[in-house]
Amino acid sequence: MADSIPVGQSLQARVDGHASARVDSVPWTIWCMVAGIASGMIGGHWDISWHMSIGRDSFWTPAHILIQMIAVLVGIACGYMILTTTFGSDAAAQDASVKIWGFRGPLGAFIATWGCIAMLTSAPFDNWWHNAYGLDVKIVSPPHTLLSLGSFAIKVGALALMAGLMSRASEEVRRTLTWLFVFVGADGVVQLGTILTDATWPMNLHNARCYLAVAMAIPPVLIGAAWGLGRRWACTLVAGGYTAILLAFEWVLPLIPAQAKLGPVYQNITHLVPLHFPLLVIAPAVVLDLLWNKTEQWGRWKLAAVSGPVFVLSFLAAEWPFASFLMTPPARNWFFGMGYFAYFDPAGLSYDPYQFQLADKTSGEFWLRIGIALVVSVVTARIGFAWGEWMRRLRR
Amino acid sequence: MRTPLRRVRMIGVLALVLTCALSLGAHVGSPDVFYEGDAGPYRLFVTVRMPQVIPGVAEIQVRCASNDVSAIEFVPMTLSGPGSEFPPTPDLAQPSKEDSQFFTGSLWLMEFGALKVRVTADGSKGKGELSVPVPSYAQRSLKMEKPLAGLLAFLMLFLAIGAVFIAGAAVREGNLQPGETPLPARARRARFVMALTAIAVAGILCLGWSWWSADAGTYQRYINLAKPPAAETTLENGNRLILRAKGQDPEWSQIVKMEEVIPDHNHLMHLFLFSMPGMERMWHLHPERIEGGAFAEELPAMPAGKYQIFADVVSKTGNPWTIVGPVELPQINGKALGGDDSAWSDNAAGGRAASDTVSLLSDGGRMVWLRTKEPLMANRPMSFTFSVEDKDGKPTSDLQPYMGMAGHAEFVSKDLSVFAHVHPAGSVPMAALELGRAGVSNESHAGMSMALANAAMPAKVRFPYGFPRSGDYRIFVQVKRAGKIETGVFDARVQ
Repeated sequence: MADSIPVGQSLQARVDGHASARVDSVPWTIWCMVAGIASGMIGGHWDISWHMSIGRDSFWTPAHILIQMIAVLVGIACGYMILTTTFGSDAAAQDASVKIWGFRGPLGAFIATWGCIAMLTSAPFDNWWHNAYGLDVKIVSPPHTLLSLGSFAIKVGALALMAGLMSRASEEVRRTLTWLFVFVGADGVVQLGTILTDATWPMNLHNARCYLAVAMAIPPVLIGAAWGLGRRWACTLVAGGYTAILLAFEWVLPLIPAQAKLGPVYQNITHLVPLHFPLLVIAPAVVLDLLWNKTEQWGRWKLAAVSGPVFVLSFLAAEWPFASFLMTPPARNWFFGMGYFAYFDPAGLSYDPYQFQLADKTSGEFWLRIGIALVVSVVTARIGFAWGEWMRRLRR
Repeated sequence: MRTPLRRVRMIGVLALVLTCALSLGAHVGSPDVFYEGDAGPYRLFVTVRMPQVIPGVAEIQVRCASNDVSAIEFVPMTLSGPGSEFPPTPDLAQPSKEDSQFFTGSLWLMEFGALKVRVTADGSKGKGELSVPVPSYAQRSLKMEKPLAGLLAFLMLFLAIGAVFIAGAAVREGNLQPGETPLPARARRARFVMALTAIAVAGILCLGWSWWSADAGTYQRYINLAKPPAAETTLENGNRLILRAKGQDPEWSQIVKMEEVIPDHNHLMHLFLFSMPGMERMWHLHPERIEGGAFAEELPAMPAGKYQIFADVVSKTGNPWTIVGPVELPQINGKALGGDDSAWSDNAAGGRAASDTVSLLSDGGRMVWLRTKEPLMANRPMSFTFSVEDKDGKPTSDLQPYMGMAGHAEFVSKDLSVFAHVHPAGSVPMAALELGRAGVSNESHAGMSMALANAAMPAKVRFPYGFPRSGDYRIFVQVKRAGKIETGVFDARVQ
């Protein structure tokens, strides 16, 4: 591909020196958006834990307020950017903007605004869904998917904004933006990992479907964010961020006392219950970084054809034995979190939570699904490279 | 969110739900639960208004017979087995400002199946508990109102078009250096990408619609499976009625085995036949099970005509079902009634009501509905009290348990959309009550056979119940007096 950008050529190397649009400090709007994204991330996991531990909630639970803050903070930041660019007299901002329906602003601001509207749309939809089909007890439902799509679009918008700024930023600003970029990218992986909660429940970690689901969902975001960042060890940084975020939730949430307020209650709850130990995405991330260090000049399809299967197989090699360990008594502690169960979970009463639920009837069926996962991973890795490269080319 | 184990496939879930749901489908069109019993030293009349969807919020009303109850708490639990041991933080009922003996509150019911509401009363005599079995199942799905549908359609269209234009702007200007103007080639490429994005967005919307439809279909199957099964009948040899149950969902018969139903009040099936239209005749019969899960009854003498069937059975797990359907019969020259079988006819001596509140009995006595002159209101829990008098107008002293109960009452709406078989303890099945009592030592239930065995039968029999909707109803009250089953019939107009 003639216009491919080698991994070694980072965004900072492409500062064009366009004086009028040069960025000398991280704008408050970026901080505001990142604060909103952090708020949504904390609120989302707190809310999941709340549903697992306490059950009963209302619109005004702290977790819900934190989730709603993402739309508020991002809406304020993006609204400000679009309105001041459209109606203000800042020529530099107008020069570094795109035009949609007569409004001008950074492309990322429009994407994030779209995400805010999607999140707002999901609210009445979700409320009706509760009334029509009962309070949802599933993470993945149509209104939740719209909410998640909106939240993800906000992250895409924030990443695009930061990518655009990094291409015009000073060294110091770029350094700060890099870490913010890693955080938002890691949160994107966290979000998709959360959507995969069902498929990647510890009891399912020896099922090929788990690896198929991971191959479908994780590479576009992990590779996309890492490739968009365009620096060495970017994939490890993003995966490390994902791991650190989930470990923080797993270790901190149980420190908060809680009691079940809905029934029936199958587990005695004394504190907030977190989700499980993060997936070992860090392992394939390290392998991919090592691979990319030696394949800078490869075409993107060729790189995807290798990176996707490498991701799946290295993840399988790391997660499979680790899953076996999670089923053993040494994993039933605060560190690995295998002793936590939701109040509504009849673990140990109706089923043994430390036995794998094997869905593949034969080894042939297992390897067929793994084969499908390998093929899928090529496509999803290519999507990740395309998205990352798009971000690296963004100027506005 | 749920563990994967609990996200088993639909039929598996439904099998679990229906085989565990002890009080599921006990009535027709009358989902609310009415129960009267003792929570230790306190007599309580508990009404549980079931939510239309699960998980959903049940509304609970508690009326105390005495004024010495200061606080009422309730918690939801499974009826038995796992989940019946750990109560969540209880909900506190709010006392009425106008009536200190009346408490109300709401309670989340999170699961399908057989649950119980454990009610704790606290007062001057200490604490007491009782448990009310409740059938937790979805009753209907909600249609979206037009204003909301319009709003969501507008927002979704806005989002769809917005996504297309954002994609166009990204291609047209996203990569341009600040201040650079897009060339015509970029504009053309942007339009091409916009077209592709529009197709992709349309595809995503179609997939979303399919997903929504699939979820709605699954939910509808939950509803259909919990609906009363239809009665399929044939007549053999001129008077032998064969009855089979057919569920509203094809999977019903795989989950509920009619070959395995168990006796309830000494009989495998309680068959109620009402003449149509008008319900001017009624039979309460007890068919025997034959091969293939069918039931057979040698019918008594019956005139030709149309009849409505309501047949109560209890599955092997204690789950009661009412089988419903019409049947047209020729003139039947059948057997004489015997055992616990009974019949009532508008034309029989003493059959018809002497007034709205008095029904003449076949032995010359009468049954009096002790009610106020206030109009009957739908969705209002009431105690229906009937006094049985001898032919001299004195309270009778020779009432006997009828199939183990002080009395049986059938509330049937004239349009046949409501059928409720109620006992003095209320609308909950006896088997569920027994299971629900586990761990509650100081609870007792009105009208139960064991209590009746050694007690003198009062001349009054009382049924806690509430009409689910307005309309015209006929109430059949059956008691046993001096070895003979007597039926009092009352008409009620409910506003």
